[in-house]
Amino acid sequence: MPTAFKLTTAKGLKSEIYVPWTPKPVWTPLTKPLSECKVAFITSGGIHKKDQTPFNTAGDWSYREIPSDTPSDQLMVTHGGFDNSDINKDVNAMLPIDRLRELVKEGFIGSLVPTFFGFMGGGGNVDKFEHVTGPEIAKKLKAEGADIVLATGGCGTCHRSCTLVLRCCEAAGMSTCIIAALPPIARQQGAPRITAPLVPIGSNAGEPNNPQMQMGILKDTLNAMEEFDHFGQMKALPYEYRHNV
Amino acid sequence: MSLSKETLEAHLNDPAVLCCRRPAGTVLSAADFEDPTIFPDLVDSNLMTLKEGGLTIQQALGATLVNDGEALTQLTPDLLDGVKEVPAEEPADETSDDDGADDESEPCSCCASASVAPVAAPASDGYVHLHLDKAEGLDLVFPAGGAPVAGAPVPPSAPTSAPAPAEEPEPAEKVMRTLVKKDYPVTKVVIGDATSYADGVLTIDESLVEAAKKADPLVKDVEMTIIDPSDRHVYSNTIMDVIPVAAKAEGKLGEGVTNVLSGAVFVLTGMDEAGVQVHEFGSCEGYMDEKIRYGRPGCPDEGDIMIRVDVKIQEGTGMERRGPFAAHSAVDVIVHACREAIKNLDGVKPVKEETFRDVKRPGKPRVVLVKEIMGQGAMHDNLLVPTEPCGVKGGQKNVDLGNVPVVLSPNEVLDGGIHALACIGPATKEITRHFFREPMVEALQTDEELDLTGVVFIGSPQVNDEKTFVSERLGALIEAMEVDGAIVTTEGFGNNHIDFSENIAAIGSRGVPVVGVTFAAYQGQLVVGNKYMDAMIELNKDPEGFENEILADNTTTPEDAARAILMLKTKMAGIPIEPPEHKWDEAVIEANKKLVK
Repeated sequence: MPTAFKLTTAKGLKSEIYVPWTPKPVWTPLTKPLSECKVAFITSGGIHKKDQTPFNTAGDWSYREIPSDTPSDQLMVTHGGFDNSDINKDVNAMLPIDRLRELVKEGFIGSLVPTFFGFMGGGGNVDKFEHVTGPEIAKKLKAEGADIVLATGGCGTCHRSCTLVLRCCEAAGMSTCIIAALPPIARQQGAPRITAPLVPIGSNAGEPNNPQMQMGILKDTLNAMEEFDHFGQMKALPYEYRHNV
Repeated sequence: MSLSKETLEAHLNDPAVLCCRRPAGTVLSAADFEDPTIFPDLVDSNLMTLKEGGLTIQQALGATLVNDGEALTQLTPDLLDGVKEVPAEEPADETSDDDGADDESEPCSCCASASVAPVAAPASDGYVHLHLDKAEGLDLVFPAGGAPVAGAPVPPSAPTSAPAPAEEPEPAEKVMRTLVKKDYPVTKVVIGDATSYADGVLTIDESLVEAAKKADPLVKDVEMTIIDPSDRHVYSNTIMDVIPVAAKAEGKLGEGVTNVLSGAVFVLTGMDEAGVQVHEFGSCEGYMDEKIRYGRPGCPDEGDIMIRVDVKIQEGTGMERRGPFAAHSAVDVIVHACREAIKNLDGVKPVKEETFRDVKRPGKPRVVLVKEIMGQGAMHDNLLVPTEPCGVKGGQKNVDLGNVPVVLSPNEVLDGGIHALACIGPATKEITRHFFREPMVEALQTDEELDLTGVVFIGSPQVNDEKTFVSERLGALIEAMEVDGAIVTTEGFGNNHIDFSENIAAIGSRGVPVVGVTFAAYQGQLVVGNKYMDAMIELNKDPEGFENEILADNTTTPEDAARAILMLKTKMAGIPIEPPEHKWDEAVIEANKKLVK
């Protein structure tokens, strides 16, 4: 600091923005072997069927039901929070629907629920995701018999929206894990389980048209779910993809 | 969340609380303790209470649980076997020259008032650090061999805003460079055969529209419309940018003379061939009288004529980096022709001249402004230091630079040193005109109490570990700059708040007082945070706290800048900034506004 100076100051100034806190733990242990589990996938990365109404990119808490047997070329993205070019190349970069079907075929997991869910978490209304969208999706997935709910975020506020919905699923008795491109957000928002490959937002589930990486991320995530034994654990995954936009 | 071995060190003297259920017989290690940084929130939300008589982490470490313990149980001597005897903490060293930022009990070297006897002693850094308990806006640190030493007469208590008695005449200011913006009025814009400016009439060559279509293969169509301020109820595609017409008449960017047209601005709008608006998080297509917050630094002013250039780009490229860039390249063809027309206006008298000076003010606290810009592709890109003010050509893309921190002089910023591809929702984005009249830069540059060292632009990358990389480079830069204070701003909200919080931590953890400025309110509430984010300014202007899709509504105004600077000075002087409410509260902002003189 300099030798002597004057500064105009004021007493009683108050910080105008609060720093978030991590909510209380929510936890459903995984009790079945993976090969017997019924698996669901949800994404807040703005994926929907091409014949469904696109999301409002300014913030939208509605969701789209995506039958888990939908061919991947009938899916698309409507999301304003990140570069869409990877998903335009291969929707499995956000919703790895082809890989999940391959996992069932291989016997790595038992089966898939009939319905996956897509929503656009960007700029998401926290209250609606926590109290309306989250409980609705959780109720439907529970009714379809899901044991495991996997998820991808998308953008930053998407990770928040996604975590809110996953917490509802966890509270409804399903074991959940977010594959996070932005693990600090998932962690701060209280995600029960987190895996973190080194991927950019926009290809949260792995490099487009790289089935090997997408499959590796899914399998490592599922294996990690068997290892996690308490709330809030995170595992870094050894996959790296850089998107030179 | 349990503690890691690394974080354990920082929390040895904090209360010991179990993070998770642990069985009897557990020998406690780092992984068993809850992170003390979240205690205030846990207490506030009634998840936990902290009682007197609890053990510190240091005392509990290595001890054994007598019975099973539930998560969030505060550890007391009766619950453990083998509690360590730890001597009472030694008083903090008054003259320590470590950064001290992590420990509230340690006196900072910058709080002074004469209400109690000072404690002062020469420290190893060659300065006497004078510490007094209550802060009154006065801060004294002086060379040990200089005039006042321990025991010397104490200066009288300084009322807010009063000058401290200076022992020596103030060192002279040094002007590094001077920029003069000469304003030339536009009262009418017409489309004609050649581009010219004379007698307040800007004529734009109609054939430039065809030339603009050839600017990039992705550009499929271009339309130009003149919109008079008397009739703005005109439907428009989403507004991608507002670009002033400014041309270098003398010198390079940031110095010399810039001729500026006042009364008319370019407005870039766009959609793709399939009819999808070129926007991201929200779009402001609609009637232009409703969708623009006229008068914001980035926006057209009330009386401005808008020259709207609507660009149609190839289907599906609006959210890929090349699409928006093509649209900006197209409009620049037309803007550039107008620049050429005003480069030489010898003999024409400007209506106004504004002088901007990059000044070094030795002896004043050194501050830096850090502006976080988006760097994730699509519209998340900016062109740094183009050849002409607010231009496209010659500009370096921050995405291609790896989003690392880049320093501009304040004059370079105000001379159109940033051409913004303008991401995020319309209400929070900082567009090209915003930087041309950046209120925080203008206020800091002319503030005679401060020595503004520069403006650092740092991108927000797409990948989490790249975010950490650029934030750490920022920290190293700040350390090298030896600043006494910093303001960090960001446009947008969401994942860029990770960068925002890491950037603030990179500065705050080096003991430099820092103020953060962003839109958060309801929709943008922070997704992450840390203890250095304790002095924050809210940019929201929407009554409901939303990204309301009105262009630039929630961007920095001169009023916001004044609050941020007052908060920084107050923090630098060691006066506490009160903690925030646990939700967005407009009353806090209103109360702070009243404290700005």
